[in-house]
Amino acid sequence: MRNKEIPKGLRDFLPEEMKTRRKMEEKALKLFRSYGYEEVSTPTFEYLEVIEAGTGRNSWEELYLFIDREGRILSLRPEMTVAIARVAATHLREAVFPQRLCYIANVFRHVQPQKAQYREFWQMGIELLGASGAWADAEVINIAVETLHSMGLDNFKISLNQIGIFNSLLAGSGLEEEEKRLVRRLVENKDLVELGRVLNNARIADDLKEIIARLPVLHGGIEILDRLGPVEKNRQAAQAVAELGKVYDALKAYGVNDHIVIDMGVLRGLDYYTGIVFEGYSSELGYGLLGGGRYDNLLQQYGFPCPATGFAIGMDRLALVLKGPDEEAVRFLVGGTDWESVVEKARELREQGYIVETDVEQCTREELAAKAAKKGNCRVLFIE
Amino acid sequence: MKNDYLTIALCKGSLLKPTLAMLAAAGLPSDGVTEDSRNLVFTFAEQGIKYLMCRPTDVPTYVEQGAADLGIVGKDVIVEQQKDVFELVDLGYGACRFVVAVPEALKNLRLMDLNYRRVATKFPRVAEAFFRSQGMQVEVIKLHGNIELAPIIGIADLIVDLVSTGKTLRENKLVELTTIMASTARLISNPVSFRTKFDRIEPLVQVLQKIAKGGKDRADETN
Repeated sequence: MRNKEIPKGLRDFLPEEMKTRRKMEEKALKLFRSYGYEEVSTPTFEYLEVIEAGTGRNSWEELYLFIDREGRILSLRPEMTVAIARVAATHLREAVFPQRLCYIANVFRHVQPQKAQYREFWQMGIELLGASGAWADAEVINIAVETLHSMGLDNFKISLNQIGIFNSLLAGSGLEEEEKRLVRRLVENKDLVELGRVLNNARIADDLKEIIARLPVLHGGIEILDRLGPVEKNRQAAQAVAELGKVYDALKAYGVNDHIVIDMGVLRGLDYYTGIVFEGYSSELGYGLLGGGRYDNLLQQYGFPCPATGFAIGMDRLALVLKGPDEEAVRFLVGGTDWESVVEKARELREQGYIVETDVEQCTREELAAKAAKKGNCRVLFIE
Repeated sequence: MKNDYLTIALCKGSLLKPTLAMLAAAGLPSDGVTEDSRNLVFTFAEQGIKYLMCRPTDVPTYVEQGAADLGIVGKDVIVEQQKDVFELVDLGYGACRFVVAVPEALKNLRLMDLNYRRVATKFPRVAEAFFRSQGMQVEVIKLHGNIELAPIIGIADLIVDLVSTGKTLRENKLVELTTIMASTARLISNPVSFRTKFDRIEPLVQVLQKIAKGGKDRADETN
């Protein structure tokens, strides 16, 4: 029976799941709007050139590609930030900046499906466009924290980094491009064994080796920045360290620093990040919940230089760590022998805000009672 | 992934004994932990440690999925599985190598002469990646055991296998053509656990690094 199959890594959502998911969306949108973020929507697929201009060629293997009838290559969107950058750079150039945008959208990646990893999944996110500086980063990170709070989650951490620290150290290291890419991947994947070996064989200064080897395990409060060692030699790296400190300080105003951890190993896979980067984790799930950061060069790819920062939460992963759905609302099942009075009564109850199903099968009182008993929190009203 | 426990997936088999010795040296409990029992979970409430006794090939899966925070498993298993886990410490024991081996009759061939041949292996990813990196193409035949038999019975021309002493190869009249990579036991971590349980994992990493390095220094001295 192949006609019952759905493609690997995709899912159907049944009513109970949809209820939970819609509630998550409502809570997130309400929060985003309260900070002035306006919702936008973009096409489900885009020209490959658009995606590539943003994310580079790194994630080519994860794209769902196809060809339209004019012969151009299309890609299902693998994420939303690139599309929003394109929209802002084309349609919103005249807007008042900073511009605050948000979205809830399904995205597609050809990954190996497993728990918490699907080929179609949903992201909720915000982008703050046209603002640089620590306060902008702090606002976005705080909204990430508040979003998780609003869903009832308390046990989570946000790992914070400034990729300029790593990038500048590496840029000034004298390593070959290929070695740099390798070191970057090893730090990101925390492959300490291989990193140690590669650094051992690399022809770079010993103090730099030591710092790079320490980066993946530099994790803790803001005080770990003091343990970074002599980065002052590298002016840009020192600047990035200072900026990280500023964002951490700015976050204090929101009172969320209990959730913030400085983590030098967070580099984010995407090429477009330029400054502050962060990821969110819950101890209840072995996979990250959210990720984001500053991408000051992305909009320039679409002809509109503009600093920007944002984040996206994976809705499907969040759903895995949330407690069951809230209390069911009372619903009525209205039946009876006289159709007009059944319809009238149902309308009356709906106007009072109840969920009302009308019996369309002309059941008896007993039959309705039996049906209601199978549903949660359902009352029968039978009109004689 | 229970928050209050640090859960460590251990390999049944030859790695278990040195692993338990290493854990004991690092100050972790190991009393009564054995694979000769029906028990697959060993809980030490006082120290907040849990061990899961697994097949070696399952360890990366347990760790990636977060069923275990940490795992101790051979690099050979890690490279073949390509799971999303952090590799924290080279523990130094359990040494073995991935090798390309051919029947004695072919021992004078160069690697390049084996282009387009059939390779029997338990490790298709490792084999495929190695030959690709050499600019070669081979037909990989995945078997689940007795790889050494494949050339003898003629379903493959050469093999990629894991050897420690090379005894099995010799017994089957096979010779090593080249080593693909060396493997030892590694401490791996779930990426999220590494962050949420950093305060427990990081000190353990430090201790194990020190012990492993000590072991290596001693070995170097005796050599």
